[in-house]
Amino acid sequence: MNLSEIPKQRSVKILEITQPFLRTKLMEMGVVPGVEITLTLKAPFRGPIAFAYGNTQISIRFEDAAFIKVNPLAS
Amino acid sequence: MNLLLFGNPNCGKSTLFNLLTGMRQKVGNFPGVTVDKKTGLVAVGGQSISLTDYPGTYSIYPKSSEEKVVFDALNELNQQQQPTVGLVVVDASNLDRGLFLFSQLADLKIPLVLIVNMIDLSDRNGITIDHQSLSKELSCTPVVFMNARVGLGKNRLLQAIEEQIKNQSAENHFSVNEHILAIEDLTQQENDALLRSAKAKELCKKVVTKKNETTQSKRRIDQWLTHPVLGYVIFSLVLIIIFQAVFTLSAIPMDYIEQGLQWVSQQIAQSLPEGAVQDLLCGGIIPGITGVLVFIPQIALLFFFIALLEDSGYLSRAVFLMDRLVRPFGMNGRSVVPLLSSMACAIPGIMATRGIPNSKERLITLFVAPLMSCSARIPVYTLLISVVIPEKQIAGIMQLQGLVLFALYALGIIVALMIAWLLKQFLKQEGQSIYLMEIPDFKPPHWRNIFTTIFDKIKVFVLEAGGIILALSIVIWALSNYGPSQERENALQQLKSEKQYRIATEEDRQLLESAVLLEHSYLGKFGKTLEPAIAPLGYDWKIGIAIGSSFLAREVFVGTLSTLYAHHEEAGEFSLREKLKNETYPDGRKKFTLASGISLMVFYVFALQCLSTLAVSRRETGSWRIPLLQLSLYGVLAYGMSLLCYQLF
Repeated sequence: MNLSEIPKQRSVKILEITQPFLRTKLMEMGVVPGVEITLTLKAPFRGPIAFAYGNTQISIRFEDAAFIKVNPLAS
Repeated sequence: MNLLLFGNPNCGKSTLFNLLTGMRQKVGNFPGVTVDKKTGLVAVGGQSISLTDYPGTYSIYPKSSEEKVVFDALNELNQQQQPTVGLVVVDASNLDRGLFLFSQLADLKIPLVLIVNMIDLSDRNGITIDHQSLSKELSCTPVVFMNARVGLGKNRLLQAIEEQIKNQSAENHFSVNEHILAIEDLTQQENDALLRSAKAKELCKKVVTKKNETTQSKRRIDQWLTHPVLGYVIFSLVLIIIFQAVFTLSAIPMDYIEQGLQWVSQQIAQSLPEGAVQDLLCGGIIPGITGVLVFIPQIALLFFFIALLEDSGYLSRAVFLMDRLVRPFGMNGRSVVPLLSSMACAIPGIMATRGIPNSKERLITLFVAPLMSCSARIPVYTLLISVVIPEKQIAGIMQLQGLVLFALYALGIIVALMIAWLLKQFLKQEGQSIYLMEIPDFKPPHWRNIFTTIFDKIKVFVLEAGGIILALSIVIWALSNYGPSQERENALQQLKSEKQYRIATEEDRQLLESAVLLEHSYLGKFGKTLEPAIAPLGYDWKIGIAIGSSFLAREVFVGTLSTLYAHHEEAGEFSLREKLKNETYPDGRKKFTLASGISLMVFYVFALQCLSTLAVSRRETGSWRIPLLQLSLYGVLAYGMSLLCYQLF
């Protein structure tokens, strides 16, 4: 599944990030395949989404979230 | 000796910078880019050492123009003869992210001091970092725990810096590992990032203990602030408060500034003999200085609110919420506050675009900001509406005059969005860019940070845009006060022979004289020469002069018209309105008709009739290219639309 398809408050494990620029940028922030994140916020009309990683929330645009392949964790 | 300050965004780096340097700081731009460069002096062991604040970054490999500044600075270190110590600030609650950047800088062989900041917040998050074992792991680097907001740890930091400086001067000057900086390939950067982030996380495991998870409860408020309905309601309220404050509250200090300088001008007029020097001082220079200083209240108020929203953490929630709405127009969630504040005044609005991280989105926002109808247009709009729009009710509840005023505002916004959309299609994005923003935890605002921001913005405006504004306003004043002397003399003689003049009171005579003098000034001649060009828009030469002089500020239009019509200021606007209504061409046609009035209002919606905006736009883009493009494009647009309106009505 893509991160853009995940409902709020759901935790997921990152499998792969398919866009190279986004991938490198997120890796430099510690968001690498294998880490668990929680989707915290979704702006209306397919606006940005935000996920919690560590002690901060990181927001990216909806279209970019589609590049992040994830595996939902059992809630 | 140089100190360089590095760190992730939102790690409290600016707070630390302000703590260390106090008010002893300078703001400028990094070479070639419009990214704030702040330098200041720090007192370390009896000597003053320069400290440079670099933009927040996650990695030494740049992913944005701000991060590129850090990369360029690191590349230049080897050429510098000065010994250098880097201060790396990390957020104690996100230690691994900070250690990632730290490890890159450490591998470059720069002597460092690690500052683990915001330990109060990490305490509250249930995070404990073992200072001893962290120091042991990073054997060559002193580690200081701090809460820069309250100044906790400042002395320990200064000691650590002093030590690191001593160590360094004993050895030879370090040289940056250029091999690491040369990695340009994304795949290589990724491999490097994977290794580093794994190492940083491992190190964190050794030194960090987490007690409990409290994150869920503190994020509940975010659900409300970004709620599809409530989120927008809250943000609208915030915007209304900002707008009201910049619009209304600033009027009070602006009046004081104007009155104060008027008083100075009167004092000078009394103490200096009449003549060219007195004229220049009282007519050109002091009004010019007023024209600069009068913007300070608006700048101060807008940046008070922006800094407040930013420092507390609310701004990133608002950006998150608004991004989708302005994105189709090539803008960013960050564009909303600058655009809205441009409806009070484009000067602080354009200055506020500096917060937009993406250079293309920033340029688009800055470019269209002057189309937002600012408060200086209101006197022009209201005068013209009262002259040409009848007082009529529509549908029983709405005033036609009010509706027209609303339409003028709407026109500006709609065209701004259209131009933004066009720019989005044509402008190229420099390099790759991505919208990626941290939404930091809420913090109580830090007043020192806020007031430093306000102070810096005022300083930058006065020092870097003030000179241009002053110089250009003196030019316009000179053009409207001087003219071919023989011609002026003749015109005055002719006026004095007229019956209208002979029966007038002393006061009226003076008014008539200044009208004639303005008519025969260089600006007046310019207006008359221009008449054939502006006649198709429905304007005569008097309006031409008024438009020309209102480059100083749009509201000057009203003042110039009252001079030209020898109008008593004390008589109020009502009588000026009546004068304009009755003004006719020699053939008996009315000058101010519905068509020419609307054409003129539309002209003021579009035309960039404000040299302060040009000066600020130059300062914020680093060259005259963009402001001149704005001036000509909006000039052409104003001409075309006014022509269209005049022909239609």
